[in-house]
Amino acid sequence: MGKNDTVTERQLTVLIFVSLLSPMIRILPSSSVALAGRAAWLSPLAALPAGAALAAFTRFARKNAPEGVGLQDMAQLSLGPVGGRLFGVLFALWLTFYGGFVARSAAERLLATVYPNGSVTVFIVVMFLVALITASGKTKTLSRTAEVLMPVLILVIAVVLLSAIPDVTAEFLLPVTYRDAGKVLYGAAPIFNVLSAFVYFLFLTGHVRRPRGERPRRVNWLALLVATAFGVTFFTLGTLGDKLSVTMENAFFMVIRNLRVLGIVERVEAVVVAVWVVTDFIFLAAILMIVSEIWRTVTGVRRRGAFVPPSAALSCAAAFLITKNAFTLQAWSDFIVPCVNLFAAVILVPAVMGIGKLRRKY
Amino acid sequence: MFREKKAPPAPELAEDAPVTAAAVEAVFRGCYDFEARTLHLGGDTENPVTLCFIDGLVSGSDVAEQVIKPLTDPERFAGVRDAAAVSRMLGGSVYVYTAKHREKLGDAAGDLLNGFCALIFDAERAAVTFEVKSQQRRGVEAPKEEKVVKGAKDAFVETMKINSTLVRRKLRNPHLKIKEFTLGTRAETSVTLVYIDGFTNPELVAEASRRVERIHTEGALTSAVIEENIVDNYRSPFPQVISTERSDKFCMNILEGRVGLLVDGLPLGFLVPGTFSQFMKVPEDHSGHFIVASALTLLRYISVALTLLAPAFYVAVAMYHQEMIPTRLLQSMIEAHASVPFSTAMEVILMLLAFELLQEAGIRLPSPIGETVSIIGALIVGQSAVEASVVSPVVVVVIALAGIAGYTMPNLDMGSALRLCRFLLVLAAIALGMFGVAMGCALLVYHLSSLESYGVPYMSPFAGSEGRHLTRALLRRSMTVKRDREPELGTADGGEAKL
Amino acid sequence: MKKTVLAAAALSLALSLGGCSSGLTILSNYRRIENIELVRTVAADKEADGVNVAVCGTAGEESSARMYENTGKSLGAALGELALLPLGRDAVLSHTENMLIGEELARERLGECLDYIERFSEMRLDTGILIVRDGTARDLLHGLTGEDTPAPDVIAGLSRNIARVGDGYFFTCREIASSLADNGCALVQCVRAQKEEKLFEARGDLNIAPAGFAVVREGGGLDFLSDEETLGAMLLLRKYKSRIVDLPLPEGALTVSVDSAAASIRPRFERDGALDRVEIRLELEANVISVSGEADLEDRTVREAAEAELSRLFRRAAESAVARSQALGLDYLDLESIIHRREPLKAAPALKNWADTFPGLPVEVEAESTLQRTYDIVDPPEDAKEGEDPWEKMIRLLRGS
Repeated sequence: MGKNDTVTERQLTVLIFVSLLSPMIRILPSSSVALAGRAAWLSPLAALPAGAALAAFTRFARKNAPEGVGLQDMAQLSLGPVGGRLFGVLFALWLTFYGGFVARSAAERLLATVYPNGSVTVFIVVMFLVALITASGKTKTLSRTAEVLMPVLILVIAVVLLSAIPDVTAEFLLPVTYRDAGKVLYGAAPIFNVLSAFVYFLFLTGHVRRPRGERPRRVNWLALLVATAFGVTFFTLGTLGDKLSVTMENAFFMVIRNLRVLGIVERVEAVVVAVWVVTDFIFLAAILMIVSEIWRTVTGVRRRGAFVPPSAALSCAAAFLITKNAFTLQAWSDFIVPCVNLFAAVILVPAVMGIGKLRRKY
Repeated sequence: MFREKKAPPAPELAEDAPVTAAAVEAVFRGCYDFEARTLHLGGDTENPVTLCFIDGLVSGSDVAEQVIKPLTDPERFAGVRDAAAVSRMLGGSVYVYTAKHREKLGDAAGDLLNGFCALIFDAERAAVTFEVKSQQRRGVEAPKEEKVVKGAKDAFVETMKINSTLVRRKLRNPHLKIKEFTLGTRAETSVTLVYIDGFTNPELVAEASRRVERIHTEGALTSAVIEENIVDNYRSPFPQVISTERSDKFCMNILEGRVGLLVDGLPLGFLVPGTFSQFMKVPEDHSGHFIVASALTLLRYISVALTLLAPAFYVAVAMYHQEMIPTRLLQSMIEAHASVPFSTAMEVILMLLAFELLQEAGIRLPSPIGETVSIIGALIVGQSAVEASVVSPVVVVVIALAGIAGYTMPNLDMGSALRLCRFLLVLAAIALGMFGVAMGCALLVYHLSSLESYGVPYMSPFAGSEGRHLTRALLRRSMTVKRDREPELGTADGGEAKL
Repeated sequence: MKKTVLAAAALSLALSLGGCSSGLTILSNYRRIENIELVRTVAADKEADGVNVAVCGTAGEESSARMYENTGKSLGAALGELALLPLGRDAVLSHTENMLIGEELARERLGECLDYIERFSEMRLDTGILIVRDGTARDLLHGLTGEDTPAPDVIAGLSRNIARVGDGYFFTCREIASSLADNGCALVQCVRAQKEEKLFEARGDLNIAPAGFAVVREGGGLDFLSDEETLGAMLLLRKYKSRIVDLPLPEGALTVSVDSAAASIRPRFERDGALDRVEIRLELEANVISVSGEADLEDRTVREAAEAELSRLFRRAAESAVARSQALGLDYLDLESIIHRREPLKAAPALKNWADTFPGLPVEVEAESTLQRTYDIVDPPEDAKEGEDPWEKMIRLLRGS
């Protein structure tokens, strides 16, 4: 990696925050409400400790890793060159597929919300072309893009949630008693699943430069994400109720369908959906960047740029081939993707990092 | 016919050749404004010297009064010949404040081109040159392009010396350095680098010097020659060098820790590094009340969004997302559009083009006519177009709003870049609606984020600044509060050098 | 350079895919604005072989409303084919404010109508749903539309006023769907056509009047509430805003505006924890808007009589609403949810068999009214007590309060 292409810890965390908004809006609040019912609005808070624990573990595990070393380098140190490379290849293949899944989900969401009979092909192709351009660039550029876009996203979601306040009904949210604790924890699982996707970004930690002297400024992406998840679940649940929310795949965007802003805009969902596509694009670009970074480390090539177009092409193919209709995509979204994500984030990555730590490789 | 008769190559100037009257005359052969005459030192016909100058560049009266008169005075120079005469002249017997002893033909020719007259001693094969520049130059006036409401009204002029004087008068600091470079293989334009030694980041000064020295041009006669050669990414339409005709703005930025460039012949000062937020600021921000100034800065950022997005947003909404338009407004839009023969897309593109045409005509024509054309264009053509059902009134309103918002940009280059992006976003909106606008904006932000100016992220402090000093870009703090300097500039008293 | 080429390729691909050059686009949303026929009200009725829809569209603020009709196997099919109707205009449903549904269609296929609105992203979830009684929705829509008064404006007028006069409430698609999902039943506002003399020529032949609430069941079925039951349901669902009530008094009569009615619902449990009864307490606040006869409002007993009469009226309304709900075995008043919210732990066992418990659950209603003000008019006038000592007057007023 080029010495010139470094980011700060804060920039990486902003990139993680903006990227993870994409899967969060895909699964929330439906998945959480299906498990926790009307208590689901508390589930994001319940997911926080688990997410924080995983983040703390990964931070501890790479504490002594030298600068410029990413997760793939750590895996090769921990598992040896062959095992480490196998680990990398597995992740690269999964993430290539996952990128396709993210693009397809975003395209389906556009169709379900504002472009009823549009073409999935157009959205997927455009998204991949834009992601290809950005993923071919530097990590710091993508991180800076996320930094600029983050306040816009926060502003949009804040305005939307504030505008939704009059529609919130207390009956849909209360009562919640200690008897619901189990449900709340159960409902936290999908949210934890989204949070745990941050481990993919550990492949980019080789680009993180350590600050000299001054204390690094971090964005508490975990708290921000949990707050966003809380807001989205609270307002959607409060507006539609648990039973109706569960029946909708894009319940949050369904709520937005009713929002008027100051009488100037009759309905804001087109804007919100379009703004949310930006998070999909950032996530997709980050995934392509991560995949090419893994291939770069695995093959030992100096520059990763050459790996981006083939990864994008494969990922784009996956987006088309993954399913013929939205029904199967929902099955992927509800079962396969969360399971693989959880396995990768909670078992595979911590195990590899733990082995390296035990073997005192870093 | 002309193609066949190529001009013979000009004889190479032997820079190191000794200075003789014949050699100098040979250099300026064919120059009708070149004058050479023989003088007799101290009135002694046995003691001739040749006086050369370029008419127009020198002041005739100064040559006569301050050079010829003392030289021909027998009391001063009777019997004083060659080396002794040179020594006496350099010693102050001629009343000119700058006198140089030149032994090389290149130096002497250079001096003549810079408003000196040369006294050539053939026997010594040398010359003494005296600075007698003509005072026929534009005086200091109020800036014309950057309007001043409450501030200094001394704008830069085309003369380097005057410009450097304006800077010196404002920054009375012995550490203010004005380092000179000569650019242009043929025009030999003088360029100076202005910075405060011991305060400005030395790496920034070194990088700026390196880039100026690297410029290969025949003559730095336009600002683009300088700007495009010293920026990091010359392909980007976004300005990366702050150019200003206001000396106060120039000096304020030098005080911030930027490096300035003054070019002889250009009534502008250039400043590096240039970041996006800098192009949103005007010196008046520091003249008015800080709350008002902050509000106006925020308004400028809103203007950026308006000028960029209003037409694209309108196209996306009118073509794809009519559900966003309030019922009554949509009804009136349908009604207004019923008699318009063009599609919304074509309507907007035509109006944008018309707007650009009017603007260009307004700029190119002499000011009274230009203003008239703008008014006629805006009022009469716009209204007539609506009445003739060529465009719908909402489109006129949207385009005018975007245009007016664009005029609030303090920097013309930034305004032009935004106008260009506005077109591209409209095309994206036509193709893909709000999704296209979002993707277009994402690409635009990505492009801006990829830019760096002398190692400083272009989008700082919004990106690449660790989230610090965000308020600095958006708000102005009271002058009673300690100022927060831009850390990216890496000045000696704060911030981190990031070059 | 590579990036520039890629960007150019992306843009040109997007443009070609979007088909902007041909004036058409593969993105189905594209509509030429001048071709839009803006639909603000949809009327749907059951037909022998499907659903008949009539829409009232306008092509601009100045142009008069136009009616379009179509029949399809389902609501979606009928509305979807509207674009094929004369004039070749695009019927845009995004601004649909209200949907009038004929009684028969509502009885059998209301769920399908709601499902269509939820699924069809062009329509809003806060579209008002109205059931048309004693006639078809299509006839009502036709009858309402006059030269200068499009039906949507007339319905919008009713929507604004109905809650203010206390005659009903326009439930939205979201509220109905949510109640159906939670309780298996929901309330819907009913309207009926009213033939009355035209106030001005440009108006339609008919007027629209509220006709109480209807109860719809999840799997189909329809019951209608009386006016009293409707008022009670509004009180208990907190949809009540205001109502003007005439109160007969021994000496004259009083017209009051009941501007506030707070309903507090509390479950009461037996010692063993079993749900004993539900207590409903109404707190009403009214303002005098006119007095006829010799009613002396400064006399406390007169006011108390008026307050008692008001309490009786509203208590009866609430009791009848609850009784009807229990008789139908449908908890559209959301009592289960309220009890659960009030006493989540204690009520849990009772709520397990709510369907069995609910019909026989004792419900006690109490109402307390207060006459708040008479708007600066002293009843009877001051001169009626001419010569009264100021001290005595003060004592009289204090006693009165």
